[in-house]
Amino acid sequence: MWLHVRLSEVCLFLQAMFILACCFSDMESGPIATSGSVQPNGDRFKIEGRAIVPGVKTQDWISSARVTVEGEEYIGFLRTDGSFVVNDVPSGSYVVEVISPGYKFEAVRVDITSKGKMRARLVNFIKTSEVIRQPYPLQLRSSGPHTYFMKRETWGWTDFLMNPMVMMMVLPLLIIVLLPKVVNTNDPEMRKEMEQSMNMLNPNPELPDVSEFMTKLFSGSKSSSSKAIGGSKCQNITCTSGLRNYCNWSCHGNYNAIFKKSFFIRLYNCFLSRVFFPLSNNPRVCTTLVLCQF
Amino acid sequence: MKPPAKMSKPTSLFVIFFSLFVMSEAVFEDQVGKFDWRQQYVGKTLFAHFDSHSQSSKKLFLATDKNIFASFNSRTGELFWRHVDKAGPEGTIDILLLHGQDALMVVGGGRLLRSWDTNMGGLNWEAVLDTGSFQAACFVAMQDTVKHVAVLKKAAISLHYLTNGHQKWVENLPDSDTVQYQAVYSGGEEEVYVLGVVPNSHLTIIAYSLEDGEIIKQRSVEAPWLSSVESSCVVVGHGVLMCVDTATLALYALPIQSLDLEVSPGFQPVLVSSQPHPARSPISEFFLQLGPDHHVLLQLNADGYTIAPLRDFQPAFLVSFSTTGEKTVAAVMTPKNETVKKKKNVACAINLFSADSGRRLLDTTVIFPLDLNGGKPFKLYVHAFLKKDDSVGYRVLVQTQDHALTFIQQPGRVVWTREEALADVVTMEMVDLPLTGTQAELEGEFGKKADGLFPMVLKRLSSQVILLQAWLAHLWKLFYEARKPHGQVKNEVTIETLSRDEFNLQKMMVMVTASGKLFGIDSKSGSILWKHYLENVQPNAVFKLIVQRTTAHFPHPPQCTLLIKDKDTGLASLHVFNPIFGRKSHIAPPALPRPILQSLLLPVIDQDYAKVLLLVDDQYKVTAFPSTKNVLQQLQEMASSIFFYLIRSDQGNLSGFRLRKDLSTERIWEVVLPTEVQKIVAVNGKRPNEHVHSQGRVMGDRSVLYKYLNPNLLAVVTESTDAHPERAFVGVFLVDGVTGRIIHEAVQRKARGPVHFVHSENWVVYEYWNTKSRRNEFSVLELFEGTELYNSTVFSSLDRPHLPQVLQQTYIFPSPITTMEATLTEKGITSRHLLVGLPSGAILSLPKMFLDPRRPEVVTEHSREENLIPYAPEMPIRTEWFINYNQTVARVKGIYTAPSGLESTCLVVAYGLDIYQTRVYPSKQFDVLKDDYDYVLISSVLFALFFATMISKRLAQVKLLNRAWR
Repeated sequence: MWLHVRLSEVCLFLQAMFILACCFSDMESGPIATSGSVQPNGDRFKIEGRAIVPGVKTQDWISSARVTVEGEEYIGFLRTDGSFVVNDVPSGSYVVEVISPGYKFEAVRVDITSKGKMRARLVNFIKTSEVIRQPYPLQLRSSGPHTYFMKRETWGWTDFLMNPMVMMMVLPLLIIVLLPKVVNTNDPEMRKEMEQSMNMLNPNPELPDVSEFMTKLFSGSKSSSSKAIGGSKCQNITCTSGLRNYCNWSCHGNYNAIFKKSFFIRLYNCFLSRVFFPLSNNPRVCTTLVLCQF
Repeated sequence: MKPPAKMSKPTSLFVIFFSLFVMSEAVFEDQVGKFDWRQQYVGKTLFAHFDSHSQSSKKLFLATDKNIFASFNSRTGELFWRHVDKAGPEGTIDILLLHGQDALMVVGGGRLLRSWDTNMGGLNWEAVLDTGSFQAACFVAMQDTVKHVAVLKKAAISLHYLTNGHQKWVENLPDSDTVQYQAVYSGGEEEVYVLGVVPNSHLTIIAYSLEDGEIIKQRSVEAPWLSSVESSCVVVGHGVLMCVDTATLALYALPIQSLDLEVSPGFQPVLVSSQPHPARSPISEFFLQLGPDHHVLLQLNADGYTIAPLRDFQPAFLVSFSTTGEKTVAAVMTPKNETVKKKKNVACAINLFSADSGRRLLDTTVIFPLDLNGGKPFKLYVHAFLKKDDSVGYRVLVQTQDHALTFIQQPGRVVWTREEALADVVTMEMVDLPLTGTQAELEGEFGKKADGLFPMVLKRLSSQVILLQAWLAHLWKLFYEARKPHGQVKNEVTIETLSRDEFNLQKMMVMVTASGKLFGIDSKSGSILWKHYLENVQPNAVFKLIVQRTTAHFPHPPQCTLLIKDKDTGLASLHVFNPIFGRKSHIAPPALPRPILQSLLLPVIDQDYAKVLLLVDDQYKVTAFPSTKNVLQQLQEMASSIFFYLIRSDQGNLSGFRLRKDLSTERIWEVVLPTEVQKIVAVNGKRPNEHVHSQGRVMGDRSVLYKYLNPNLLAVVTESTDAHPERAFVGVFLVDGVTGRIIHEAVQRKARGPVHFVHSENWVVYEYWNTKSRRNEFSVLELFEGTELYNSTVFSSLDRPHLPQVLQQTYIFPSPITTMEATLTEKGITSRHLLVGLPSGAILSLPKMFLDPRRPEVVTEHSREENLIPYAPEMPIRTEWFINYNQTVARVKGIYTAPSGLESTCLVVAYGLDIYQTRVYPSKQFDVLKDDYDYVLISSVLFALFFATMISKRLAQVKLLNRAWR
């Protein structure tokens, strides 16, 4: 037991202490990268090419750009016309890149045979032997400035208003408020007209509405959350928990006859059930949406 | 044992963090320059030229020992452009010549000849020179126009056209195996002279025809006293070679003639002459330096045989010629007062003298303070120009021994100073700033708990009053400053006003440079607050900076110790200083007579709250610093629990030691990696100030995978000695530093270095070059204990029977890298990112999530639950992840990360040629309001709701009333 305690004590110390014993002995700071099979007296070749940034004068970008071959193994600089030569490169396969803090360039792989034949191809690190030829001498075209920054999420009234959720809230509201005013319900001619149009759409008015049927079915059998909202004209707005996305309410009074048959209302209901309700899992949402039967 | 359910809570929180912030790390455009800064450097100046092309030009061209050719704005000291060549001997700048708009450079020991367009900063042409080591180069003029450049190599001379670099002719030099050709000279005639010497025998002068390279004349002069043309001869006047004989202290002109002058003992006399235009011969006046601060201006008479002294300058630090128009002037720098040695700051004066008469020019004295702490002045570059009234004006660039450049304008105004020593930062630390008096007072309130209730309340009130006072003072200051014009308000940071900010985001960066100059830099603004030059530091010294006492122990000052070790002999010395003020501490460091092998900082604290530093010498004896009685006693008590390791990479030997009570050591383990097969490249433990917040990871099935958190774990990286691409390999050994047990060993076949790696928490990430597929690859090793912890209360290296489970995965990285470091935060709750320095100068912030060996190949429900990214072989590099956007850091050598007072924030300093300081938020700013927090929106919504309620309440009341009436 004592040993155990002692041991853990020791280890606590070890933990803290040992790690601080950082190395300060003679270590070479990494080997100098020697490219494996290259003889110092082997033939040296040059990689030539030209870099272009469309629409930008060369003097505006060349002073900060350079050409790197395989990291910083060989370095070339850009001439005043955008062309470049990297001298003193032994045979091998290299990734050539134009590095500029302002503009992005695609890297190219250049293969040099021991006889000095050159070939340029697309860089593919996964399929390293795949050859998709590129022009040589290299023609490197910038694809535009680098994107270093993220866009801030800004908040504006238009963003808020154009939000689909908000649109869905506002549009129905508008319709609910405006529709009764546009359609004069007390005009008997109008009423007749609408009834006719509805009858045309509904070939058999005697057949009960599916939704009506369902409502009756479910409100009878299942516990349903029903709520009546104020006013004497509309009663018994029913939400069916079984039919998740559908709401029914049966209304009485003057409105009923018109709205039941109204083409617009149907359309609107359809829209509601398709678009709005799938978003909310709560069937009670519909209680806030006033009016009429589906 | 902690129940796993408890464990899972923070970890699942972690997972949420991960899922929320995977792709988040990026800079926003409006954050540019808000908390980050970059300073660009070029290194020690080798050649400097003022642009004399036009009178009003502001350009200054420098070529440096870091293989950089740069153009500066001489009015501000800012870079126009800079070309960074390959580091090492292949990119060294042998010579820089300036003619008109073209700058000519011989690079890489005579490998390449380059011509730059100094106006645009682009290359005119580049020509490959024949092999052979470079000796000298000069412009060659023909009929008053410079059209060629002559390059002298060890065995050949070649002439190139200035317009396109094409070679006009190349000639082999006769007897190049015996004669050392060292100088080339052209005086505007149709000939190019090559000067060679057979040491202590004779001097050879060969004249080549400019047209076809034929030898026109060849002459040999007996000169048994001459050993080197380069160091002791200059061409003066109309083709007269002036040599100084160091042995007999005589001055020879050719034809030989001598003049007796007194040279201070032990000093090699130096000649300085000037050739204002390559098409004309040099001026006949020249300087002879006879001692460290003794110069004589001499004139070669028109007959070419007699020399007349014009003026004697003593004391004079530096002399330099400069030409403008037809006038050549000599600038002489002298100390202003005699008490040079006593004062720290010395006023120096620079005067202009007419070169042909030696008379002092009126109104040309410039007096400026010179900090002798920064080393002696080293070189003087003078830019003379003609003023409107035809008098000579000048600007001067002074280079001091610590590589600093100071630009001075008449009348004695220091326009700018560049601390070029910072181009080579070796190591650095970030030290917390001290608390202000008020802050200390407030902190002190929480320290003592013994007081009763009433005094505590009083104290609380009094500190609140202090805070109120400070706030009022701040308000008053704001009001006062608001009345001033905007430009005048300056928030200058000085050492006196330094204090810790609310979240400890501002720190003191202590930087150690290779030249031995120490800097204290304010991390917020980047301004240099103090500098200290250690004069007798060898160029091959190795440095280690140790923070022994932080600022937390008021009234004890913070204390840093710099261990300076000579790389060849291993002899070391300590420099103890205060990191906030840079002052040398009065504490005497111990004498270290023997070479030091290892240093370790113990968490043991002496009575002055300084951590104890142990230094192990080559006889494995230990020296403690500080070594008070208290410390020694503590050391004796815990000697048996102090372990350390030593690496002998030349012997492939890794060994572990334990301290004995008498401060001697005993070896307890040894690992030998045979040097014929592989060599140890690097060994790395974990960072001592690292915190790991969660002990494990919650997996998809709600079980916990515990991390193997061995604080004593060492990652040893080896490389094969065989460099053949088929047989080369890279090895990673995970060794327990206390027991020497090899926990894991991973060998990557067909791979070679350079290997960069990070070792932290329970993972090691390393990067190597795959020789077969010719690409860079990242590999990650992660160690887990399994689903149960062996001993959850404490980790012991001696009592861990089970080896950890090791998971490994490898990815392709589409770029080579130069350095790598992991972010570090206060408590380790924030997710980790890897900061990767790329050769392009960008610093990539790579989420550690991408380097997770548990990334699945096939996505399952569990892996989705865990938020594991499906495996993809190639790692993405997105420019949005570059924390330094377009502020590239050339040749990134190291990245330093430090935690701040905010858990979300990690301070980052990347150094190399440049220094870049910034903050990163690996999991976004979850503990402070973001920069873009919309105060207006939130308050307007609040107000709107408030008023809406008020109004609707009123309306409801009215309605109720109406109903009641009905």
